[in-house]
Amino acid sequence: MTNVYADKRILLVDDEPEILNMLISILNSEGFYHIKTAQNMKEALALADSFIPEFAILDIMLPDGDGFMLMEQLKKTNDYPVIFLTARGENEDKFKGFGLGADDYIVKPFLPQELIFRMMAILKRTYKNENHFVKLHDSIIDFERAEVIKDNIHIPLTAKEHNILEVLYRNLGRIVTIDALCEAAWGENPFGYENSLMSHISRIRTKIEKNPASPTSLVTIKGLGYKLVVEEN
Amino acid sequence: MKSIPKLIKRFVAILLISLFLFLLTNFFILFIISKNMTASGSPYTTANETAKKLQRTENGYCLDKDTLTKLNEWGAWAFLIDDTTHKIVWCTDNLPNHIPEKYSLSDISDLTLGYIQDYPTYTGASEYGLFVIGYPKDRYWKSMYPTWDYYFIKNFPKTLIFVFSVNLALIFFIYIITSSKLIKSVKPIIAGIQALGEDKSIHIKETGIFSELAMNINHTSDILESQKYQLRKKETARANWIAGVSHDIRTPLSMVMGYASQLKHDIRLTDDEREKAAVIVKQSSRIGNLINDLNLASKLEYNMQPTSLYQENIIAIVRQVVVDFINITISDKYKIEWKTDNDLSVCLVNADKNLMKRAVSNLIQNSINHNENGCTIYVHIQTTEKECLITVSDDGVGATDEEIDKINNTPHYMVCDHNTFKQAHGLGLLIVKQIASVHNGSITIKHSRYGGFEASIILPLS
Repeated sequence: MTNVYADKRILLVDDEPEILNMLISILNSEGFYHIKTAQNMKEALALADSFIPEFAILDIMLPDGDGFMLMEQLKKTNDYPVIFLTARGENEDKFKGFGLGADDYIVKPFLPQELIFRMMAILKRTYKNENHFVKLHDSIIDFERAEVIKDNIHIPLTAKEHNILEVLYRNLGRIVTIDALCEAAWGENPFGYENSLMSHISRIRTKIEKNPASPTSLVTIKGLGYKLVVEEN
Repeated sequence: MKSIPKLIKRFVAILLISLFLFLLTNFFILFIISKNMTASGSPYTTANETAKKLQRTENGYCLDKDTLTKLNEWGAWAFLIDDTTHKIVWCTDNLPNHIPEKYSLSDISDLTLGYIQDYPTYTGASEYGLFVIGYPKDRYWKSMYPTWDYYFIKNFPKTLIFVFSVNLALIFFIYIITSSKLIKSVKPIIAGIQALGEDKSIHIKETGIFSELAMNINHTSDILESQKYQLRKKETARANWIAGVSHDIRTPLSMVMGYASQLKHDIRLTDDEREKAAVIVKQSSRIGNLINDLNLASKLEYNMQPTSLYQENIIAIVRQVVVDFINITISDKYKIEWKTDNDLSVCLVNADKNLMKRAVSNLIQNSINHNENGCTIYVHIQTTEKECLITVSDDGVGATDEEIDKINNTPHYMVCDHNTFKQAHGLGLLIVKQIASVHNGSITIKHSRYGGFEASIILPLS
């Protein structure tokens, strides 16, 4: 399959040249060729000025500073997605990384496929199409207008329905737990909203499905959650 | 510190008993002494009775022999004052020479009340005049003004109780002052001993009457602190060593895994070569997981893993783990079924979300690892009045009774207190046990009702 993000400029920072070479090799095999590497913070900052990366993979332990500081510096000039790829696997480091705005945190050792999957997910999220329409089996969701178009009829979505569908769409093809959907609709620690969620799901189905009794787009995974399935383009 | 009020109570009880016995003894002694002192009868009575015995004879007056002998024995003397002339008209032979022979009314008043020339005198009424008995100067002390206020006598019992109470209060006050000083010295000693028992570091002021004892307690605390520090140092060094080694392995292992994975997918290589690369990927992934587990297990063992316990809905946590496993589509060989009752949607437990996720993941991964030919994994949560039970079971190959017994009863070599490398179970289960323990819970291992293996985490409800 063609990599639609192959033209993205990628900055790799790690003090180990062997790791950098391996990362280049992994990324090349996926079609990414606009890659620049740096082995320390100073070099990375200098490179970022001229190269203007659109994605960065940073190590945390660098000879002249740490990846956290580097990310803060890099994001000052341009805001683009950053993944930390590090041997530091402590939760505190992960929380710090995410807290500072990292898009992902991968602990070494890692499988190349894992890195690519995570990277593609972030690229997809960040550089998504301006098209806000999502084509389902029986309808189209317009997230920007918060409405569903079914049989040429525009049906408005409520705020909660919109939030639920958005979370499901972000995890397209994957199960989203009941709890995560409740959190999307009612905020943190939403205990006891399962029945309300079911009512909302039922209402969404009447809007997006041709036959809500036998749904094809918004599928129930018994006891666990729901999954949004879209028509393959 | 319950011992201090106990100590005070005991001291007060001893004081009260002592006071009671003290008073009782004194009253008894007083009673005995007074009884002895008045054995010869009251001198007033003697004077009256003797006066009545005085007889008038033709030759004057006379007393019977017995009475005279008694007076002599006491060293006493007697005389009779005539009512009209106020002169001595009779006397005993031993009347001192310097005793006046004539008495005015005021003299009579004086001798009746008190003394004649320092001799204590007592009077009795005789039909012939005033009968006077005089005793040796050191025989009696006379109270010359025995007049009491009427109300004083009337309220005497109340006054006595009042005086007694004031005395008691005074004694109590003195006692409290002195004993509070003692308690003040004892208090830090008791607190120190209690702190030692609770494994706390202490330093008591080495002053006062218990200074030596305080010094010994401080010394003991120092020794315990030093031992604790040494132990902690050893444990930290061990955990840091494991953390350091696992950290250092990660980067080279990444390269092994990365390149092997590329070779595994390189279509220019032969099937045999790609298969070998796949083995390298699989085994290096195993090493990666092992170092992660080793690091976490050692940190949990030496309490170096930071934990943040919050009230969490354990159903949501476990459900997320199950969904994550399903979403990564492990393999068609493995199916995960959510068997929790739909009505049970909330189960609050004080938990570290990440650690609990790790524990449940380990149990699911355990079923996958031990069933190469595939299995169905069942995840079930149920609650009792006080506990929450998370059960992961499978219909796989399971384990023998002997193996289950070993898993339940033999400690992992990492936490064993003797040298052994015989492994009862993998690090995955050890971590589950450790995580359960961090949450004040436990785990049980048994045969699954579906025919395979079953592991349950039991946690107290919050």
